[in-house]
Amino acid sequence: MMDNIVKVAELYFSYGHRNVLNGLDFEVPRGQITCLMGQNGCGKTTLTDVITGVNRFRSGEVLLDGCDVRKMRPVDIAKKAAYVPQLHTVTFPYTVRDMVLMGRTAYAGVFGGPKKEDELIAEEAMAKTGILEYADRPYSNLSGGEIKLVLLARALGQSAELIVMDEPTAHLDLRNELKFLEIAADIVKNDGKTILISTHSPSHAFLFERMGAATRAALMKNGKIYASGAPDEVITGESVSEVFGVNAEIIEYTASDGTKEKTISLKDTAK
Amino acid sequence: MMKTADNFRIKRRLLTAALIAVAVSPAVLVFVSLFVGNYPLSVGEVFGILFSPGSASVTQRVVVWQLRLPRALAAAAVGAALSVAGAAYQGVFRNPLVNPGLLGVSNGAGFGACFAIIFLGGGVFTYFFSFGFALAAVVLAWLAGRVGGRTTTTGLILGGVVISSLFGALISIMKYVADPYSQLPEITFWFMGSFASVNYSHFWAFIPIFAGLTLIFLCRWKINVLSMGDKEAHVLGVNVNLYKLLIVGGATLVTASSVCISGTIGWVGLVMPHIGRMLVGNNNNRLIPVSAALGASFMIIIDCIARSLTSAEIPVGILTAIVGTPFFIYLLKKTKGKQWNDG
Repeated sequence: MMDNIVKVAELYFSYGHRNVLNGLDFEVPRGQITCLMGQNGCGKTTLTDVITGVNRFRSGEVLLDGCDVRKMRPVDIAKKAAYVPQLHTVTFPYTVRDMVLMGRTAYAGVFGGPKKEDELIAEEAMAKTGILEYADRPYSNLSGGEIKLVLLARALGQSAELIVMDEPTAHLDLRNELKFLEIAADIVKNDGKTILISTHSPSHAFLFERMGAATRAALMKNGKIYASGAPDEVITGESVSEVFGVNAEIIEYTASDGTKEKTISLKDTAK
Repeated sequence: MMKTADNFRIKRRLLTAALIAVAVSPAVLVFVSLFVGNYPLSVGEVFGILFSPGSASVTQRVVVWQLRLPRALAAAAVGAALSVAGAAYQGVFRNPLVNPGLLGVSNGAGFGACFAIIFLGGGVFTYFFSFGFALAAVVLAWLAGRVGGRTTTTGLILGGVVISSLFGALISIMKYVADPYSQLPEITFWFMGSFASVNYSHFWAFIPIFAGLTLIFLCRWKINVLSMGDKEAHVLGVNVNLYKLLIVGGATLVTASSVCISGTIGWVGLVMPHIGRMLVGNNNNRLIPVSAALGASFMIIIDCIARSLTSAEIPVGILTAIVGTPFFIYLLKKTKGKQWNDG
């Protein structure tokens, strides 16, 4: 078994004449949370969309569980990689149960829909994210935090080893953000999942470590990976300042329970 | 707590009963419609014609077997087709306000019918030309909306709108040059929709209706997934382009076939799916079959009213909205519009 579920080599991608990814190399190791960080528009979503087969790229190689994504059908990709979107507008208010069941589409065959066993898997996923009690409510009546948990349950129900998350905690309040990250850390620690999460917040990587999940950080700039590795080594005052164009410092402190913690302190935008 | 659980169970049972009623209603209504019409036949006489044909006169037998039965079957097929096509279009295009005429089917068919009536004397040509131009309009809309080798939803809808208005203008030209005493009334009546001239020779159009409905029925779970948007549908494991082609193709086929049987009938394809949503929710696994049954039943009832309310036939296209709107408003108030996002 390879240790990387995703391997990206020499990846070039452009929208028309605008180059977004310039010979990018990147890996996502199994059984870990990889936090992908970078400015708005630096190509994080472009990269995750390449990995899930949504974006077709010009040159380079992207292997998902050892297979070339360009040669994989959507149904094969869906069995290996699930996706939690950032914003979700729904036209028809399906029930929470139906939403989560859609994660089972890849197993439903060419025609037809989910079966009895799929319903059981969906219920398990809903229990995992704590939304089973809303199962028969219309999805549109839920709060932003609950909606994210539905989308996470849908991804869990997809039974894919890798879960790709695109800024999943944007628009969430503090408690809901933390709750979402806790469940994410838990499924990596206990359910053998691998997570690739794009985020604006460098502190997420520290949070995941504190929650006991194996964590990696990757910083993106100018369509390339600027630095990647252990969060302690990658997320420094200099690297964050450089990548985000700010003046920032990493502050180490001892929390009231005696543990060593790290947090980021922002000063101003770099002139 | 007990009380709500009991209420829930009672509601479930009522819903199950309602669903069984909806499922069997088209068959029951086809049978009932054999008793309805202007030609004076008593209930006993109709039973006689059905079960001991020897006892009835030729005219009586023709009325039941050659007029009323094919009309009921055609109304059922057209109602089911328009309603299912509407539900399918609404799901795939992620828009609850879409109707089966979206991609130019209605105006394309209308132009074909006008052309046949004016230049070829109508008759059987009307059927084939309306069918052909309905499909041609959708293909043109698809070509018009294709940008850089890709067909986006917005592109396709815009293509449908412009092709629709193009055929709308062509229809106006046709009406302008049509003979105002013979051809223009025929065109006008065609646009109001009717089952009056249906007979078994038109039943060839049942083949594409049946094929299209089967295709949509088989793909109905994928309509749910496609309504999440292209990107999410793809990541959930759906070949977006393939299933869009199958579902939109199927919906277009059944709409074109029904337009050529009955002329244009509005309202049904837009509103019947929503009545279905109020009954069983938005999951297309249930919505598609329920829409089919509702559309079929509604159309048979409308056609019965159309042919028996006055001594002259009333075009069904007029009645669908007049009879259906109060019913729709009643259901909307009753369910409080829960099945819409902003409800």
